[in-house]
Amino acid sequence: MGHVERARAFVANADRTTWHDEALWFVRAKRDAAADTVPDWEALRDEAAGIKRDVLGRLPELWQRFEAEATAAGARVHWARDAAEHNRIVHGLLAEHDVRRVVKSKSMLTEECGLNPHLEARGIEIVDTDLGERIVQLRNEPPSHIIMPAIHLKRGEIGELFHDEMGAPEGLDDPDALTALARQDLRGRFLGAEAGITGVNFAVAETGSFVVVTNEGNADLGTALPRLHIACVGLEKIVPRASDLAPFLRLLARSATGQPITTYTSHFRGPRAKETDDGPAPELHIVVVDNGRSRLLAEPAFREALACIRCGACLNTCPVYRRSGGHSYGSTVPGPIGSVLAPSHDPARHAELPHACSLCGSCSDVCPVRVPLHHQLLTWRSHLAEAGHHPRRRRLAFRLAAGVLSNPVLYERVTRIGRWLARRLPQDLLDRLGGPWSRSRAMPRIPERSFHQALRAREEGEGR
Amino acid sequence: MSGARDEILARLASAPAAEAAPVERVPPPTMPADPEAVIAARLGQNGGILVANADRSDWPDHVDLPTPLADFEHVHCPGGLALPALGITRRGVGAHARTVHDLAPLDLCVLEAGFTVVENGASWHVPSSSLERAAALLAEHLVILSPRSALVPSLHDAYARIALRETGFGWFLSGPSKTADIEQALVLGAHGPRTMHLVLLDDE
Repeated sequence: MGHVERARAFVANADRTTWHDEALWFVRAKRDAAADTVPDWEALRDEAAGIKRDVLGRLPELWQRFEAEATAAGARVHWARDAAEHNRIVHGLLAEHDVRRVVKSKSMLTEECGLNPHLEARGIEIVDTDLGERIVQLRNEPPSHIIMPAIHLKRGEIGELFHDEMGAPEGLDDPDALTALARQDLRGRFLGAEAGITGVNFAVAETGSFVVVTNEGNADLGTALPRLHIACVGLEKIVPRASDLAPFLRLLARSATGQPITTYTSHFRGPRAKETDDGPAPELHIVVVDNGRSRLLAEPAFREALACIRCGACLNTCPVYRRSGGHSYGSTVPGPIGSVLAPSHDPARHAELPHACSLCGSCSDVCPVRVPLHHQLLTWRSHLAEAGHHPRRRRLAFRLAAGVLSNPVLYERVTRIGRWLARRLPQDLLDRLGGPWSRSRAMPRIPERSFHQALRAREEGEGR
Repeated sequence: MSGARDEILARLASAPAAEAAPVERVPPPTMPADPEAVIAARLGQNGGILVANADRSDWPDHVDLPTPLADFEHVHCPGGLALPALGITRRGVGAHARTVHDLAPLDLCVLEAGFTVVENGASWHVPSSSLERAAALLAEHLVILSPRSALVPSLHDAYARIALRETGFGWFLSGPSKTADIEQALVLGAHGPRTMHLVLLDDE
């Protein structure tokens, strides 16, 4: 099933599509207003893109430095080649510490690796603590947006869910009251958790530190209470120096939600200090994950996608994402960046995603680290076509078109027949041929002469 | 395990090199004419409240909470500051907690920040202990005291002041715990503090 088929149910509800579209455009507008408060915004994007380009050229050196520094600070660094190894390592750590209950803050990496089902199958309770993620977890569905996981849901639906799951009174749909219920439920889970799992927004090579940002403070609570903290980090998330955090943090929240900074911007280095001298020592484990990132790095056409800082700005601005919803992508990360990343993981399964794009270029315009998203999407189309991933009908259509367009005589004949036919068919049949395009447009009247013929006639007229 | 490490590093090393280009650094923004107005606006965006027109002896009067600060039952506050004169002392679980879990019923947490970043209203804080770190998250209300003399224009200047390599844990705080995950409606007090006041204190 491709993007078009998966989007069908979402698109069928025009009210919801419009509401979703407007909600995301509102976030995009906030991003613009926030960017306007920074006079050197464009130069800042250049700086951030430049740092990432430099980083991608020396990842081995940076990660070795990080490992040495983090280890010196008392953390343990683990390496995972793929999702399965990542899940094995995390489960091994939890089992070693007899952990049954885990709280996790938002991490697209653990989502990508399928960590939750892996742990649940082994009898470990894992609770997503970001409110949006908790909502989609209870609904047993994936996040539809990388920073607003439940953006596709209306308050009434969340009220019903909380009625079933947390005993909310029937019909409750006030966001304050619903959040208060979730807070109460999750507070107990924070206090009862034996381990906290977080993602990582930025790892700093020279200090062995890493930064995690949230607005809810859920990553902080989840690591301030349990004694075991496991941080999972993708290979692309490293910066060389602490001073490099400045440009990225100035860009990140402004690009994401239009905030000047997230409420909590936490810098971890080594495990937490003991609470009392005789108490048990907290532990920090960092799992560094490849899972296809080194393969992407080896692809000159796509490696810049590894610069992505997961702000979600390209989703918010994308006309296709806004109107088709995150679940239509069928990939962990939806939207333009997801459509670039997913085919690298599984070309056959995600071959349609680069076509869920009008090539308008808005994603590339808002990307804080200047990933050339729409260029990469176009490049993917030809890569995937050459690899034989296009559906047969499209392959046939393109082969026909290529044959006609590369042969001037054939082209002349085919278009002549086409014009002759088009001038004789009734307008309503013509409109139907236009498909969805002509739902609110009329097919233009086809002129008698082609451009070539008109030009020739004109030149002959002038020559005379 | 080292097999995975070496294999990953080898994979990374074998990727074709991209052309190296020097990174152009953006000159850090300068201090705005009215920094406190900018802080108030940026902090307000994140749901925080700036208390700027107060001094060391009367600031609690300017922190507007349903209960006067001096009357909360469970309070964590820094040891070093002369807060008892204002009626603010460690008490309840704030005084007796031995583990982070003991702190759960905390009403109020007062923190002392190192400095405040004007462009985003965030204050840099290094918790003095694991208990203080948890207290800042478990408390219903958060008050951050920061010296008025320690304002920096932007994060660039902020990182120039932070010795990250010597800091076990440190954070920028810029408001109460908040969420907008239900229909983009802003709700304060998602998991942690429901209110956050930043008090800029004059030096003696």
